[in-house]
Amino acid sequence: MTSGKARTTAALSAFFACALTSVAFSQTASIDEKAQTCLQCHGEQGKAIDPSYPSIWGQHQGYLYLQLRDFKLGNRKNEIMNGIAQDLSREDMMALAEYFSQKTWVNLNQPRASEADVKRSETAIVSGQCGACHGADGVGAGTTPRINGQSHDYLLKTMEDFRAKVRTNNPWMSDILGTLQPEDLQALANYYAGK
Amino acid sequence: MVSRTRQSLAMLAFALSAGLGATGYASAQEIKTASKWGDMNSVTQDLLSRAAGDGNNFLHTNGNYAQTRFYPNRQINVANVSKLRPAWIFQTEVKESLETSPIVVNGVMYVTTAFNHVYALDARTGEELWHFKHKMGPITVYCCGPNNRGVAVSGDMVYMATLDAKLLALDAKTGKQVWETQIADPELGYSETMAPTVVDNKVLIGTNGGEYGIRGFVKAFDTKTGKLVWTFNTVPENSVGVWATKDATGRDMKRNIDAEKAQLAKTGDPYKTLGGGVWQNPAVDLETRRIYFVVGNPSPDLDGSLRPGDNLYTDSLVSVNLDTGQYVCHLQYIAHDVWDLDAVSPPIITTVADKDGKPIKGVLHGGKTGHVYVHDAKDCSLIRFSEAMVPQENMWVLPTKEGARMLPGANGGVEWSPMAINPNLNLTYAINLHQPMTYHVESSNYPAGKLWLGGAFKVIPTEEQWGNVTAVDYNTGKIRWQVKTAQPMIGGILATAGGLVFTGEANGQFKAYDAETGSNLWKFQAGAGVNAPPSSYTVDGKQFIVVGAGGNTQIDYKRGNSIIAFTLAE
Repeated sequence: MTSGKARTTAALSAFFACALTSVAFSQTASIDEKAQTCLQCHGEQGKAIDPSYPSIWGQHQGYLYLQLRDFKLGNRKNEIMNGIAQDLSREDMMALAEYFSQKTWVNLNQPRASEADVKRSETAIVSGQCGACHGADGVGAGTTPRINGQSHDYLLKTMEDFRAKVRTNNPWMSDILGTLQPEDLQALANYYAGK
Repeated sequence: MVSRTRQSLAMLAFALSAGLGATGYASAQEIKTASKWGDMNSVTQDLLSRAAGDGNNFLHTNGNYAQTRFYPNRQINVANVSKLRPAWIFQTEVKESLETSPIVVNGVMYVTTAFNHVYALDARTGEELWHFKHKMGPITVYCCGPNNRGVAVSGDMVYMATLDAKLLALDAKTGKQVWETQIADPELGYSETMAPTVVDNKVLIGTNGGEYGIRGFVKAFDTKTGKLVWTFNTVPENSVGVWATKDATGRDMKRNIDAEKAQLAKTGDPYKTLGGGVWQNPAVDLETRRIYFVVGNPSPDLDGSLRPGDNLYTDSLVSVNLDTGQYVCHLQYIAHDVWDLDAVSPPIITTVADKDGKPIKGVLHGGKTGHVYVHDAKDCSLIRFSEAMVPQENMWVLPTKEGARMLPGANGGVEWSPMAINPNLNLTYAINLHQPMTYHVESSNYPAGKLWLGGAFKVIPTEEQWGNVTAVDYNTGKIRWQVKTAQPMIGGILATAGGLVFTGEANGQFKAYDAETGSNLWKFQAGAGVNAPPSSYTVDGKQFIVVGAGGNTQIDYKRGNSIIAFTLAE
């Protein structure tokens, strides 16, 4: 696993790389052209340039659309994404979401969780009723994201941000993760990333 | 085992009570049989209205307009149910939560799956006649699995409501879509999982979304065109009510009325985002032109601080006029609910004893609280409530940030699962859940179409969970018999004139019980959770019992994709 310091450095490099290359969308650009902007960070082959960025290839259209909408409205905070989403119309967001949802989900070849993490995760999943929204295998549907096979670092950061109410565009996730322990979040990130 | 004499008396009593006279219910031979390719006779209003006495078809999600789920054929009965065997198994292409009630019209069966597929099957053989797959829109918002509970039939059409909040009409012979209409905006949290109800050229439909800050409704659409006929908002613009401090059973709910009044003065009536979904079908009384349905929880579920008042008509039985949607009466079980112990199981109309023992038209509802509520149909008032079918502890402790333990857990009691009755025995049959939970509150503002519970209900993983099948005498409120099951029960139940009750379990067991005693007379291992309401039908003189075995998302039971029909061994 990447050490904290190295991870921070990598994330910062990626942030600046993305920040430097992110530009306003041209209103006349096609969806294919607009998608090129996304690929700069989320990866030209579907593997993001930094593990703290999510995999969006093969993610559900409804979920991707809602996140773009929330970035545009400022309900979800991210300096790069808030800027990018400002120039997108609803039709653009829906089309981009569709574009990436139709790509094939990329296997990041992350290690399977340890037995201890699986056991801890299964208890947390039962008490938090994770499967009621994300499905039995964590594959989600519609506006509920696939978390099975998602990047470990992104999963962990997302859960920690929800728990700390840094990410605020889904209060239920904050509520339920607030009832779990930090160790549960580590186990769940290992569990779902390695599925 | 029921004696022969008792059986005969029960049958006679049924025939008399159903007003069937000498001819009794139709035999299979009296109905023209369908061809192999689904030559469905048009479903007339008369056929739909007489469904309670129709021993051939299964025309409504809950059997008939009164929603008794009491099937009038007795070919399969307590004496021979041990010979019940699978006749066929049909596997859908969707291996996900299966909650469909099979509908059968003249030898053609219609079933739905998660994500809104519809199949028409030859009910004799299970052979597929057609398959319709809804092209789902990108926005689907639903809290408890991508479920669908089935279709409604009328004329030459089949109706289904979808996860992306549309109502569809399909050609019953071909499965081709005839029209669709958008019921509500899914981006605001509206979705559909219930089966529609069709009556007098209207398709009636409620909505999910009580977990998303919607404003609930029941709507009526024209069967031919899909045009809106009327809307009843389940949350009125004045939702405050009478500041009730006790629930319908008289228990104090520990409300802080002063704080609520101060909040009301500050933020006004919260009706626009107050929830009040309608998860299940209305019972229809054609005599009085009324429908009866139950309204679900207020939004956000656990945080009452943002929604002062009684939050009318959440957690209530409500009656409205069938033709206009105008309010008739209501009874609220829990005012200002902060536990999600709302009203979801579909109501049943039947004759009940009033407080003086006089027979009157009544309405039954199985509550998530664990009580069966018995109402006077005339004014919705409560006549009695049953003994609790599940343990109740620490009611009504208020949710806390750290979590307060209270029983029942938030799934009930009785969840969306329909009850059944046997009118000859004055018994209603419910399936129950015992799932200990802690209730946590965490205030957050309306998140615009996102899950908005205002906290969390958390299963306590160290405590045992289980279920019940319970028979309640609705004229006394006493439990007649109760059978414990290995897991909490969700799905539904069917009673028959053969003196039987059928229901399935999470572990794949599908069982028949003696309706009078609760003795387990037959069982079958279906290989996946049997969490759907069974139906029954008769073709070519043979009675069948049919049920879906596909597990359940809400409480994560083993998934499958089977529709299994049973009949007596030759």
